[in-house]
Amino acid sequence: MSFAKAFSPALREIRIIFSQTGPASAGTRQFIVSKYPDIKKHNPDLPVLIREATGTPARAFARFARGVEQHVELENLSAPEVEAKVAELISS
Amino acid sequence: MLRIVSSVSRPTSTGLLGKVAVTTHTPHNGRRSFSSTSSRGADITLTVDGKEVTVPQGSALIQACEAAGATIPRFCYHDRLAIAGNCRMCLVEVERSPKPVASCAMPAMPGSKVFTNTPLVHEAREGVMEFLLANHPLDCPICDQGGECDLQDQSMRYGSDRARFHEITGKRAVENKDLGPLVKTSMNRCIQCTRCVRFANEVAGVEELGTTGRGNDMQIGTYVAKTMDSELSGNVVDLCPVGALTSKPYAYHARPWELKNTESIDVMDAVGSNIRIDSRGVEVMRIQPKTNDDVNEEWISDKTRYAYDGLKFQRLTTPLIKRGDRFVSATWEDALAAIADGLAASGAKDDEIQGVVGHLTDAESIVALKDLINRLGSDNLALDQPGGNAAPVHGVEKADAILLIGTNPRHEAAVLNSRIRKSWLHTGLEVGLVGERADTTYGYDFIGEDAKALSNFIAGKGPFVEKFKNAKRPLIIVGSALAEHPDGKAMYNDLAKFVEKNKDKLVTPEWNGFSILQRVASRPAAYELGFPKFIYLLNADEVDPKSIPQDAFVVYQGHHGDLGAQLADVCLPGVAYTEKGVTWVNTEGRAQLGRAAVSSPGASREDWKIIRYVFSWPIYRWGPLPYDDILEVRDRLWDISPTLVRYDVTEPTSQEIAIAGLKTLATQTGGAKVAGTPLRNLSQTSTKLILYQERESVTMAQCTRAFVKGENYGFTAFA
Ligand code: SF4
Ligand code: FES
Repeated sequence: MSFAKAFSPALREIRIIFSQTGPASAGTRQFIVSKYPDIKKHNPDLPVLIREATGTPARAFARFARGVEQHVELENLSAPEVEAKVAELISS
Repeated sequence: MLRIVSSVSRPTSTGLLGKVAVTTHTPHNGRRSFSSTSSRGADITLTVDGKEVTVPQGSALIQACEAAGATIPRFCYHDRLAIAGNCRMCLVEVERSPKPVASCAMPAMPGSKVFTNTPLVHEAREGVMEFLLANHPLDCPICDQGGECDLQDQSMRYGSDRARFHEITGKRAVENKDLGPLVKTSMNRCIQCTRCVRFANEVAGVEELGTTGRGNDMQIGTYVAKTMDSELSGNVVDLCPVGALTSKPYAYHARPWELKNTESIDVMDAVGSNIRIDSRGVEVMRIQPKTNDDVNEEWISDKTRYAYDGLKFQRLTTPLIKRGDRFVSATWEDALAAIADGLAASGAKDDEIQGVVGHLTDAESIVALKDLINRLGSDNLALDQPGGNAAPVHGVEKADAILLIGTNPRHEAAVLNSRIRKSWLHTGLEVGLVGERADTTYGYDFIGEDAKALSNFIAGKGPFVEKFKNAKRPLIIVGSALAEHPDGKAMYNDLAKFVEKNKDKLVTPEWNGFSILQRVASRPAAYELGFPKFIYLLNADEVDPKSIPQDAFVVYQGHHGDLGAQLADVCLPGVAYTEKGVTWVNTEGRAQLGRAAVSSPGASREDWKIIRYVFSWPIYRWGPLPYDDILEVRDRLWDISPTLVRYDVTEPTSQEIAIAGLKTLATQTGGAKVAGTPLRNLSQTSTKLILYQERESVTMAQCTRAFVKGENYGFTAFA
């Protein structure tokens, strides 16, 4: 799935949490560097929170209407795998 | 680190007096700084009381003795101030030195043998104590320093049991000085250690305070009578080893042994100073600093120290419901029912439900409020800056060029300002300023005061450009006021591009040179989480009443009946920072845990608990928010941002992520027009800088009169 488009309005917030240096988060970091500007460009009002903390397992959260949250584990995934997981998460 | 190597060699009796003096004395450098940030040379090894100890070169002998576990009494020496060496209390014996030496003024020498526990040393200390007490008044029973007085303690431990001096003319008498509404003086008690003078000159940048006269006539003061106009003046009270400088608002209120000490976090500004709350019963008696080298060193600002009296007035103690034009007290049940009715009657749905987070809100209740608002189907405001915009308070000392934009840290974060001054004094730090000129306590290059000046700077015009270019660790500190300025967007755009262009210096793996100085304690947390005919004000008092529609239903939750409460239809009593154990995030993104010192008044409750129960009726299909205790709230914090529960550390932002964020910032703010309005600093009395707790504080009102308006603040009679 391409991230260069506007997401469904049901999606209210994306949070991506990972470690700055941990090898298990490498794919997630790569994903953010390549896709974050695209996502923001097409969804300027969608909050995308990127939070880094040493040694945290990489995870992504999506919040939908009425505070319903879903999340996926991104630990040890490569960049394309992260992409697939996140795409699945936000379209769920 | 100082470390003890071994304790093998024993002292020899040849170490006593009468040996040929090998002069190890080098003129000491008064500017030496022993703070955690000074650079260290090689290590040296010496022997103290038979213990071998290794300390960094350039340490004072007193530090070596401390490292060896020998306590040295002292009055004038202080870790964070320059060395004066004038009280002589720290005398120790050094092998082959004809006289006892003042260990604070003597550098530690490799291989020297030091004795701190010999008859000679004891006699020397006793002698010094006797001299100091010869002219010290015997007013301990009515002295506020009693119980925490270095002179008292050390005379018990090291002094003699009788005095030989009987002055026929009476003891030395000195006139008291009027230093303003915060510091009370009783100059008869002064022992001329000059700690206060060194603090004022080095740390606070108030150069008026000094000494006049010599010998018996020496006095501490400003020579021409003047109040001590500094936002850090309260620290001299802690520094003064005797009762010469004491706290005026706290005068005769309590004795130290009656107080319960609770270590907590300050919320008066976004520095997140570590404090100790001293309380007696349910009352906060005073606030003292707690040492934390990474945040506030040993200092706190006067606002932090003295605004606590505001906690006693105008508190909300029971839930209130507005009936007609007045508030009536209600039970929690009725108040929550009134809120539920209010929501239904207002017909608000989705984004018409707004949550507003004010100053002084802790991370737990912000998260709870966010969850609540989200559940109601609303999403009002989310700020999604990557965490890379946090100002490293600590980094300030590593920077060699600082560009301040639209901020005067002296008023917005006084302790941070003292760090800039420290660095400016001791290193070649260059400071540039875009914004209103102000007295910052250090010199700066004035670049201009509007967006044009900034773009000129970025285009490479002006004298400061060179200095900034040549700096190895340049730092940009953007005031939070910039976001509220009409040209804010354009300036952010300029800056984002500039930082990206110079990313090899400004954003490297070990240095993040682009930072935003937040103004109040909860702002960083609100940015972290994302937040804006139903309005829920959580501690929010800085809302403009005009921005609230007439027919909106307003809930106010907070601890003071102030502006926000006036607008409310229902008030829920929350608790103040001294009454709850919660997470506070400072401007660097450092999460710190505060602790409750006193119980909360009346029916008030911890804020996250209140929010948890709002709309918890079965008709809303859900129960209370899904956390039963504070640990579960913190689990939720961990899901929102793990940094919020990583206590006491700052999490760096990685380079690539920071740059990706900057790029987005640049595109988002692109094309903004420049109106050219000059940037204005928030004045000391501006409502934006004054928190509502302070508005209730008598002490702070007196400070405003004395320092901002220059009036007689009406407290002189006490002095
Ligand atoms: S007033 Fe206190 S701190 Fe200042 S010189 Fe006197 S004793 Fe020292
Ligand atoms: S502490 Fe050394 S002379 Fe005062």
